[in-house]
Amino acid sequence: MRKEYKEYQFDKMVQSIVHFGSLAKDGTDKECFGMFRYAPHFKEVFGTILGTGEPGVKLMKMVDKYLCDVLNASAQGKKVALCTFNFSPAVLKPLGVVPLVVEPLTTLGVMMWLRGMGEYLNYCCELGFTETSCSAQRGAMGAYLAGLGVKPDFVLCNSVGVCDTNATAFNFAAEYLDLPFYQLNALPLFADKRTIDYQHRDFRGLISFVEEQTGKKLDVGLMREVIHEIKKQDDLINEIQDLMQLKPSPVPGTYNVFMYSVKFIYGGYPEGTEVLESMLKHAKQNAAQGRAGTASGKEVARCFSVYVDHYSAQLRPWAWFDSKDISHVGSMMNGFWPDGAPVAKGELAEGIYKLDATNRDTMLDSLCDQMSRMPMVKQIRGPMDDPHQWLLETRGSIRTFKPDFCTYTGTIGCRNTWGAIKVLARDTEKMGLPTLILFGDAFDQRITSWESMRERIDEFLSIRGILK
Amino acid sequence: MLNEFHKIGKELFNNHLKQWKNAGKKVIGYNCGHVPEEVIASAGMLPYRVRGIGADSTSIADTYFGPVICSYPKCILQLAGEGKYNFLDGMIFSPGCDSIRRLDDCWRKAAEESHGVFPGYRFYLGIPHKVTDYSLEWFISEVRRFIASLSEHFGVTIGDKDLRVSIKEYNKSRTLLKKLDELRFQDNVPISGADATAVIIAANAMPRDAYNAALEKLIAKLKKSGSGLNGKKRLILGGSAHDDSDIVALIESSGVVVVGDTLCFGSRSYVDLIEEDGDPVTAIAKRYLTRNPCPRVFGSYKERLAYMRERVKDTKADAVILQNIRFCDMHGAENSLCERDLEAAGIPCLKIEREYGPMAEEGRIKMRVDAFVENLRA
Repeated sequence: MRKEYKEYQFDKMVQSIVHFGSLAKDGTDKECFGMFRYAPHFKEVFGTILGTGEPGVKLMKMVDKYLCDVLNASAQGKKVALCTFNFSPAVLKPLGVVPLVVEPLTTLGVMMWLRGMGEYLNYCCELGFTETSCSAQRGAMGAYLAGLGVKPDFVLCNSVGVCDTNATAFNFAAEYLDLPFYQLNALPLFADKRTIDYQHRDFRGLISFVEEQTGKKLDVGLMREVIHEIKKQDDLINEIQDLMQLKPSPVPGTYNVFMYSVKFIYGGYPEGTEVLESMLKHAKQNAAQGRAGTASGKEVARCFSVYVDHYSAQLRPWAWFDSKDISHVGSMMNGFWPDGAPVAKGELAEGIYKLDATNRDTMLDSLCDQMSRMPMVKQIRGPMDDPHQWLLETRGSIRTFKPDFCTYTGTIGCRNTWGAIKVLARDTEKMGLPTLILFGDAFDQRITSWESMRERIDEFLSIRGILK
Repeated sequence: MLNEFHKIGKELFNNHLKQWKNAGKKVIGYNCGHVPEEVIASAGMLPYRVRGIGADSTSIADTYFGPVICSYPKCILQLAGEGKYNFLDGMIFSPGCDSIRRLDDCWRKAAEESHGVFPGYRFYLGIPHKVTDYSLEWFISEVRRFIASLSEHFGVTIGDKDLRVSIKEYNKSRTLLKKLDELRFQDNVPISGADATAVIIAANAMPRDAYNAALEKLIAKLKKSGSGLNGKKRLILGGSAHDDSDIVALIESSGVVVVGDTLCFGSRSYVDLIEEDGDPVTAIAKRYLTRNPCPRVFGSYKERLAYMRERVKDTKADAVILQNIRFCDMHGAENSLCERDLEAAGIPCLKIEREYGPMAEEGRIKMRVDAFVENLRA
């Protein structure tokens, strides 16, 4: 890593830019746009997020607050856990631990700097990661392995059994930084009793592990508060996804990103709920006016991403879909499976979790069941066509959100889904859904430029007659 | 005798299998060293670990797999699609890693489109990624589910007595292979690494009674043999799935001898025996879950490092070659940690990324091994 990079703390740099971005809309429009001049590379993302109005402003403030939590954890006597993106932060609040979630930090770094995260990505390879490993982890992880940020106290991994390359990154970090490591293990089966029992015991193992690291017991009162907050968030997400089924969809495409950003960093916290409330309010206003969530208020086509929707850096795809009046009606990242989820019907009905705040045990089981349904943890753990797995869930999402076409975007590290996407796409095509398979990388813009991705999507839409 | 082992390792449908099939008996394929062979054997069927050896393209596999997948499962699917595994009566899949577990999805889709080329029976055996009391309980129940599925599909009974017989037979192979190892540990090694690899690989591809008999004879012969490979630098191999004696021969052509390994096709398949007392299903599950783990058991790196160091000590190795197949992030990343820790302990390491396949990238591997060996001698 070049020495210039080692002069600055990565997370502090990210936080300071997000902080000023979050304040931009507190001033006048003139002041706000004037400020963009000082963040030339980030201004496009600023524009896309803040362009959504109040939800975007609240999201920026939420991210700022989260980053401050991370930076101030040690001063507040809290332990920091290096976490996978799909590790629900809700469980850490009653344990008094701050989650340091790698993937959102990589995403933010890519958005902010012209240079992207290349130097940090490369640093991981210098230390021994393969060049074919997950770029989403290699980004921010590179900074933490170089000691350029908050020092985590232990590592918590929720990708074992669903994504080897992701789990490998966290396993490596634990070994390299000599940190205690705990993995939640997703088995290939999902809804059978012995697997549920296994997960419940594994989850209790997690609680004991964290208690041991912190020297504090789980706060049952706080756990109850968290459960109530998750319930609120779940109801809001269900309602937003209900609205998403309307034609035109009144939900802006970027809300998909907002939704999982909330779940990944503030799931079960009031800070996240506030963003979701604002999103629902605005989507309802659109619905009342019969407007689509696009800037023009029109919808000419609907897109569903069968995997992650990180087409490219900079949120440019969202702005582009929007400019084409295409509604983005979700991805695997938006499947959380709470009680009442619109997609949980028919053969998928049993896939939901229920929240039960009766006592400590029921709450722990509830949090565990929620954790085991986080994106990727639920649907790519077993054979593609097994109950509740990738193919059936995709079919359910297609039935629910009625897209006109599907996309898949995988990075060089997405071994699990690259292993079966061609097979899955045959089925979605059989359902009448044109399906575009894209190789892209939102975390390493040296791999594919947005311009090349855009050309491919545009050509696909034209050849398949989706946009006439 | 060694030629026969090499032949078995290089021919998918070898003479032993032909005789087995001609006798009306069944062969069941499996894709990972975590699948308990004893269960299949106790049903009177022959367990056969599928390999990709001999595949000269991946044109069929690329129809189903995406682009950034390890070439090992791709080569297996290629051979299956070409009909070269049509002697199999069933196939057992397990989630060894993300690439190998998607072989199941691609295999079944290819089977739909290539009638009669793929076997009719398939079972997906779940294997936890951690070793705890509850993961063992889960795996015991999974092995029972596997037994029930095999029994129901093929109309056979698999009783505790049958399992005990298989355990004994497979333990005998393991014990013999450990004896072969002891010979390889000697200063004057009586067998090359390439030959030893062929011998070890044959265990996965022929009936066990015949294998044990042949191995016993070989060990007796090697014990009597006065010749050896004294004076050469001694290496051991670690890393991704590796089943190709030609690569070992290529390494040895640099004037070294490979005296051991920490591979799943190699020593990790026989160093741990199954307990012969008590409930056989529990004993089988315990051995396959808790045996020397591969990096799919996250959080157990230190155990693997300890095993590597133990092998280095036992074999009196001068150096270690750590290889990984491209896109194998688990072994790739862990090889780097291992290289760091072994070199810190004064054990030289060479880390190589390679493609799976017969002598793929021969020139590049040869050049790197030559340079490494030159350094060892300096």
